[in-house]
Amino acid sequence: MNGRPVPPRRLWLLAAGFLVWCSALVVLYALHAIGCAFGWQAGALRWSLAIVLLVHLIAIAWMWRHLATARPDPELGQAAVFLQTVVVWTLIAALVATVITFAPSLVLKTCI
Amino acid sequence: MSASVEQPPEGAPALRLHRQLEKIWATGPGWQRLAAVNHSVIGLRMVITSFVFFAIGGVLGMLTRVQLATPNGDFMDAETYNQVFTMHGSMMLFLFAIPMVESFAVYLTPKILGTRDFAFPRLTAYGYWCYLLGGTILTVSLLARVAPNSGWFMYTPLSSNVYTPGVNADVWLLGVTFVEISALSLAMEIVVSVLKMRAPGMSLDRMPIFGWYILVTAMMMIVAFPPLILGSILLEIERAFGLPFFDPTRGGSALLWQHLFWLFGHPDVYIIFLPMAGALSTMIPVFANRPLVGYRAIVVAIIALAFLSFGIWVHHMFTVGIPHLALAFFSAGSAIVAVPTAVQFFAWLATLAHGRPRWDVPMLYIFGFFFVFTAGGLTGVMLAIVPFDWQAHDTYFIVAHMHYVVAGALAFPMLAGFYYWLPLLTGRTAAYRLAVPAFWLIFIGFNLTFFMMHLTGLLGMPRRVFTYSGDEGWNWLNLLSSVGSFVMTIGFGMAVIDIIVQLRFGRRVRRNPWNATTLEWAMQMPPAPYAFASIPRIATGSEPVAPDQLALSLARGEGYLGFARNGWQEALGVHMTSGEPDQVIVLPQPTYLPLITALFTGAAVLAMLFKLYLLSLAMVLVTLGLFVLAGQRAGLGRDYGPLPIGHGVSVPPHTEVASAPPWLALICTLVADGTLFTSLIFGTFYLWIAAPHWPSNLAPQANRMLALGVIVALVIAAAAARGSLRSTSAGSNAQGWIGLAAIALLAAMTAAVGLIGSVTPHPHEHALGATAWALIGFVALHAGIGLLFLISNLLRIRAGFISPRRLTDLRLTRLWLDYTTVTGVIALGLVLALPALVATLGARP
Repeated sequence: MNGRPVPPRRLWLLAAGFLVWCSALVVLYALHAIGCAFGWQAGALRWSLAIVLLVHLIAIAWMWRHLATARPDPELGQAAVFLQTVVVWTLIAALVATVITFAPSLVLKTCI
Repeated sequence: MSASVEQPPEGAPALRLHRQLEKIWATGPGWQRLAAVNHSVIGLRMVITSFVFFAIGGVLGMLTRVQLATPNGDFMDAETYNQVFTMHGSMMLFLFAIPMVESFAVYLTPKILGTRDFAFPRLTAYGYWCYLLGGTILTVSLLARVAPNSGWFMYTPLSSNVYTPGVNADVWLLGVTFVEISALSLAMEIVVSVLKMRAPGMSLDRMPIFGWYILVTAMMMIVAFPPLILGSILLEIERAFGLPFFDPTRGGSALLWQHLFWLFGHPDVYIIFLPMAGALSTMIPVFANRPLVGYRAIVVAIIALAFLSFGIWVHHMFTVGIPHLALAFFSAGSAIVAVPTAVQFFAWLATLAHGRPRWDVPMLYIFGFFFVFTAGGLTGVMLAIVPFDWQAHDTYFIVAHMHYVVAGALAFPMLAGFYYWLPLLTGRTAAYRLAVPAFWLIFIGFNLTFFMMHLTGLLGMPRRVFTYSGDEGWNWLNLLSSVGSFVMTIGFGMAVIDIIVQLRFGRRVRRNPWNATTLEWAMQMPPAPYAFASIPRIATGSEPVAPDQLALSLARGEGYLGFARNGWQEALGVHMTSGEPDQVIVLPQPTYLPLITALFTGAAVLAMLFKLYLLSLAMVLVTLGLFVLAGQRAGLGRDYGPLPIGHGVSVPPHTEVASAPPWLALICTLVADGTLFTSLIFGTFYLWIAAPHWPSNLAPQANRMLALGVIVALVIAAAAARGSLRSTSAGSNAQGWIGLAAIALLAAMTAAVGLIGSVTPHPHEHALGATAWALIGFVALHAGIGLLFLISNLLRIRAGFISPRRLTDLRLTRLWLDYTTVTGVIALGLVLALPALVATLGARP
C-alpha cells in the first residue's frame, strides 16, 4: 500500500454537518416548547430561536469553510480525496437543510 | 513473539482446497442444521421465513379487503377485524419488511464485499432464532384469537390496560420487542462487518455502492430501534406493574408513546427503502451496461436521507395539537427529504440514459418500482404540507400513500433482486412465460388496489373502520380495490410458482449471467459455505477483472488465505478506510448455543406474557449466563504473532490487535444503548413540560446520600477496570482489581435499589416517581451487566484467553464501565434535579 491510511476517526466527519442539523432541531424544538409552556414574551422567544439558529448555521458554515479550503494530504491517497468531497457536500446539504427546515422560526407566530 | 503455526500448503489445486475448506466451514447434516451460523444458511432461512410471514400478512390483507369489498359486510365482526388489520400491519412491517431487507443484507453483504462471513456468526444465528420465535409468538396469538388489536402502532391509551385488558397488547409489545432484538443484533453485525471485513484493497471510495447503503441502513437501525424498544418496555411495565408513563390521569402522557413510536417509525420507512435502493443501484448499472452515475452524490444523498428521516417523525402527529411553528420544522423537513431521494432517482435515470439498457425480468420490476415509488413520493410531499395533512389524516389517503411508498419501495425491488440473484443460488434463470405475466398482474393489481384508496380517502373514508353504510360514495372504489388485491395476489402466486419452477426447470446459465462487476459472482453457483476459496485483492489503477474470470483464480487459492490452517474458519480484517489487511479473524464453528440462548430468551418473553414474573427474571438470568458462556470460547487460547495470509503478507490474529471486531461492536452497542438512554431523558423532560397533573406542590424526594454513594461506587469500579487493564498489560495479576471493581458494582447496585425504594411520589401514584424509578433502574441494570463483564474477565483470565497481548476483554470492560459511570451521573443528576424542575412548574401561566 502507498502512503498512510486515512485515520478511521475521520469517518465521523461524514456525519458532522447533519449532527449539527440534529442539534439545531433538538434545541429549537425544546426551546420553543419551554418558551411556550412558560409563557415567554413572543419577542424574547423569537430572539432566542434566532440566536440558536444562527449559532448552528455558523457552526456548519465554519466547518464547510475549514474543510473546503483544506487540501487533502497526498500521502493519504484517493480515499482522502473521496472522503473530503463527500464531507464537504454533506456540509453543504446540511447547511441548506438547516436554513429551509428552521427558517419558519424567524417568521411564523410563536405559540399558536 | 510468534508461535509456530501450521504453514499453508503451496499451490493447492482448486478441488483439494475446496474439500479442505468445505470440511471446516460446512454445516453438518440432520439436526446439526440447527447449529448453523454461516451467513449463507442464515440469510436463506431469513428470506424464506420472511416470505412466509409475507404470505400470512398478505392473506390477512386479503381478508380486510373481503370485509370492505361491499358495505355492511359481515364477513368478520369488529373485534376480529381489529385483530386482522393490526396483525396485517405488524406482520408486514416487523416480520416481513425489516427482516426481508436484513435477509438480503445477511446473504449478500459478505459476498459483495469479498469476505467469507460476518464478524459474529453466532450473533447472526441468534438474531435469526429470535426473529423466528418472536414471529411465531405473534402468529400463534392470531390463531388463539388473542392477537394485538390496537392498530400496528399501538397508540395509548387504547393499548393501555384500561381499554385493552387481556394479553392482546402484551403479545405485540413483547413479541415485537423480541423481534427487534434480532434486528438490532444484525444491524451491529452489519456495521462491524462492512467497516472491518472487506476484500483487501477495497478502500471506502472503492466499496460497491451496496456496501454504503447497507452500512448507513444498519447505523440507522442502531439509532432507530431503541426509542421503540424503550416505549415498549415502558408500556409493558405500565400494563404489568401499573407505573403510569402514558396514563394522563397520573401524570403520564399518551403522546409520549407517539413520540417514541414515530422516532422509530419514520426512519423505519427509509430503513426499508435504502437497502432496496442499494439493490437497485447494484442492478441498474448492470442492465444499463455502464458504471453507476454519481457514486459520490449518491453517498452524500444516503447520508442526508439517513439524518433527515430521523428529524421528521412529527409529521405523523400533525393533528395532535403541537404549535404551528414547531409543525413547520417538520413540514419543511418532510418536504426536503424528497431531495436526496430524487438525487438517487436521477442518478439511476442518468445511468440508464447514458448506458445501453437491456430488458429482462429484473428491469420490469425496476420500472414498476420507478412508477410506484414516484407516485408514493409525490403523495408524501402533499402530506408534508400541514393543512392538507389535517384534511387527509386518518383517511384511506394515508393508507394509499403508505402502501405506495413502503410496498413500492420494498416489493418491486425485492422481486427484481430475487430474479437478479437467484441464478447465483440455482445456476438457472426465470421462465419468461410465467415471470412476465406475473409482473404485470402484480403491477396492475397493486395500482388498482391502492390508487383507489387515494380516492376513497379524499372522499372521507376513515382508516380502521370495519364496515361502512354504503351511502358515502365509496362502494365501487372499495370493490375495485378488493378486486385489485386479488389480481395482485394471483401475480404474487405466479411469481412464487415461477421461482419454484426456476429451481427445477429454469434455463441453465453460465457463471455471472448478467455480466455484473460485483464480487458475489466470483464464486461457485450456488456459493460454498466459505464463499471464497481465497480472498480477492482489489487492485488499484487497473481495469477490474471480470468476476467470472476472477472466480477461477480464487478457486485455485491465488488470493489471500487460499489454504486451510489449524481447522480455523479464517477471514481477513482490514483497516476501516484503506481496506488494507490488518488482522486474521478466526470465526467460531457451528454451535447450538445461539438456538439455546434464543429459546431461553423466548421463555423469558413467554413467562412475562403469562405474568410469571419471577420465572421470566430467572430466564433472563439464564440468557445472560449463556451470553457469558458464549464469550468463554471466543478468540484464541495463546499468542500467535503475525500469521502469513499469502502474497508475502503476515498480520496478527484479531485477538492481538486493538481494532478487533468486538471493540467496534461494543461501540455500536453503546450507541444503541445511549439512544435508549437519551430517549428516556427526553421522555422525562417531555412529561415535565407537556403532561397534565404535574403540580408544583408535588415535591419529589430522593435520598442524596444514596445517590452520591451510587456515583462514587461507579467511579471506583471504572477506575478499578483501568487498573486491571494496566496490570495485565504489564504482565501482573489483575484479579485484585477485578475483585475491587466487582465489589464497587455490587455496592452501586445495592445503593441504587435502596434509592428506588425511597423514591417519592410512589411510582404507582405518579409519573414523576415512575420516571425516577426508570432512571435509577437503568443505572442498576447497567451496573449488573458490568458485573457480568467482570465475571467473564475472571473466567477468561483463568482459561488463558487474556494475556498482555490479548487485552480486548479488559478494554471492553473498561469501556462499558466508563459508559455506565457517565450515564449513571447523568441519570442520578436528573433524579436529584427533579424537585427543582417541578418547582419551576409554578411559574407556568
